[in-house]
Amino acid sequence: MKRLSFLLQGWMVWGLALVAAWLLPGLPRGAAQPPEFPWNVLPATVALLMGLVLAALVAAWLLGPRAARARSLALWEAPPDLLWGGLTLALWPAAWGPPGKAAWALAFLASALPSEIRWLCQALPGEYPFPALWGERAQRRMRNLALRTLAPRWIAVRLPLWLTATLVLERILAVRGLGSDWMTRVAVQDRVGLALWILTFGLLWTLAQRRQP
Amino acid sequence: MRILIAVILACLGLSAQVVQESFGRDPGPLDFIRGEGHEQAILQSLTGDSLVGVDTQGRVVPRLAERWEIDKGRLRFFLRKDARFGNGRPVGPDDAVWTIQAIQADASASPTKRDILAGVKARSLAAGLELESDRPPARLLLELARVPIAQKGEAGQGSGPFTLARKDGEWLLTARPHFLHPQIPGIRFRLIGDEQAILQNLQKGWLSIGVPPPRRGLKPPASHTEFRLATQAQLLVWSRIGTAALKGLERWRGEALPQDFFGGRASLSRGLWPEGLGFSVQTIQGTCPIPAGQRWEILYAAGDEPVEKLMLALRERAKKEGVDLEPRPVESSILFERLTKGDFQLACAINLFDPHPWSVLDLLIPQGSLNFSGWAHGRLASILPKLQDLRTPAWEELQALWAERPGCLPLLDFQGCVWVDRRLKVAPGPLGLYLTTPGAAGWSWQP
Repeated sequence: MKRLSFLLQGWMVWGLALVAAWLLPGLPRGAAQPPEFPWNVLPATVALLMGLVLAALVAAWLLGPRAARARSLALWEAPPDLLWGGLTLALWPAAWGPPGKAAWALAFLASALPSEIRWLCQALPGEYPFPALWGERAQRRMRNLALRTLAPRWIAVRLPLWLTATLVLERILAVRGLGSDWMTRVAVQDRVGLALWILTFGLLWTLAQRRQP
Repeated sequence: MRILIAVILACLGLSAQVVQESFGRDPGPLDFIRGEGHEQAILQSLTGDSLVGVDTQGRVVPRLAERWEIDKGRLRFFLRKDARFGNGRPVGPDDAVWTIQAIQADASASPTKRDILAGVKARSLAAGLELESDRPPARLLLELARVPIAQKGEAGQGSGPFTLARKDGEWLLTARPHFLHPQIPGIRFRLIGDEQAILQNLQKGWLSIGVPPPRRGLKPPASHTEFRLATQAQLLVWSRIGTAALKGLERWRGEALPQDFFGGRASLSRGLWPEGLGFSVQTIQGTCPIPAGQRWEILYAAGDEPVEKLMLALRERAKKEGVDLEPRPVESSILFERLTKGDFQLACAINLFDPHPWSVLDLLIPQGSLNFSGWAHGRLASILPKLQDLRTPAWEELQALWAERPGCLPLLDFQGCVWVDRRLKVAPGPLGLYLTTPGAAGWSWQP
């Protein structure tokens, strides 16, 4: 019952997002056609996001909650996505031809990974004095359990932000991806397309709540 | 001998080179009925043929129609026999009639094409088709160059010199046998939304053609040459608070900024209508004193750098005359909605006029797509029938009428700038690089 009430509250928020998409203000000049959905980029995006999830979880598991305050991580996290995209484009050798999905994936990992590691490390419970004093094995088991509980919630919360990050990189590195698709649908006020996007987000959020108490 | 072989190999390699290009935004699916926007127009011009074309000199030239005749205001087109759609089917009069009628019947068809074809009656003949309209035939001919013909029942099938394929989020256009005889093997468009990224792609030689960002002192790399294109794009300001505000802005626009402030990409407008369309420089008639202490809000599309700079300069200039001009940036679709509803005091937007004088009529006629100020004049109806050709003196009469109390005023005239690979021979026209005839089909690689 408690879980059902929680889901209902969440879907009220998703419902409000749907209403907002339906009532988008303004009138686009010249009714442009909504874009075709970039199905071709979907496998690469899913693989990339899985790579990010795995890398962030492993890093958080290895580094533990103390990494949340690490200066090196803060330094890595500070530059905006724009800088990583611009840097990739500027450093990419001209003779190699324009950078494609591989460069986009690298820039995305470089920009998203530090924030995600810090997010997870900050959410991990403190380890001093216990379980640190019980030994390394107990400490790792504790991190294991905490990360298993955190992971679905973390993915559901961060997914829309990752999409925004990819949008910036897609615009710079000439990759037709999910971020561009979302933004184009906003620009041409494709209400049906936006509603499908929001419903997909809502569905992913619902699935992510399965492990919540 | 080795040098000769090297030169031959280089020439062969060059002739097989695909032109690298970019789209600023997704054009959407190719659709000759519903497709709208600049990027979609480029795709349609490459994959489709209109009945007539406009050449680099702005003249109407044959395209799908090998000839036409004007008889009592009716346009009769005779189609060429060798035109075929991408699937090999010959182009017939029924296809042209179907395209015109489909655009007229479909409420979600391209608004630009619906405006062009409003009131046009089409019927097929044995060797062609006949169009009847209340518009002057000279105007209709120029406008028909923007309506490519689709295959009957297939809104995405055209007969143009290139075929379109989508691959990995790119648009690949490959040359096909066509009466325009395309000389380049193809064009590859990538989606690059960021203008700094376009500049870097141009500087690294990854784009054969590209529009650099509007910055002063920016020079093309050694591999590219710069083309300045005359466009009929203007920043217009509409007024809902009378002529006095426009009279003030007419004076301030020449004094707020130095003429070369925008580095050749835009210049301060002088007259009331685009000089490039053949209109003389005219000023607003009469005197309209501006009472001190006025406060005017002026809307403009957020994020447009030259416009923002001009707004700030105008605000400072207006202060000297005791007018509080308040520039307010708004999102472009909200701006357009407020313009359409007439919910503004002053509002600015960029408009691209078609390269013929009839395009200014949208500012004047009651149902005109640019008549946001609700402009009307009792003598307009008597002048409109006189506007039968490009040279008639009625154009001056019309401009004098507008100058009595105009509904809007141009502030900036924009100039197009494009960097093109030095080895690529292109011929820009009044409609740009792509939309003229033969357009991209006339480009070639030079060793």
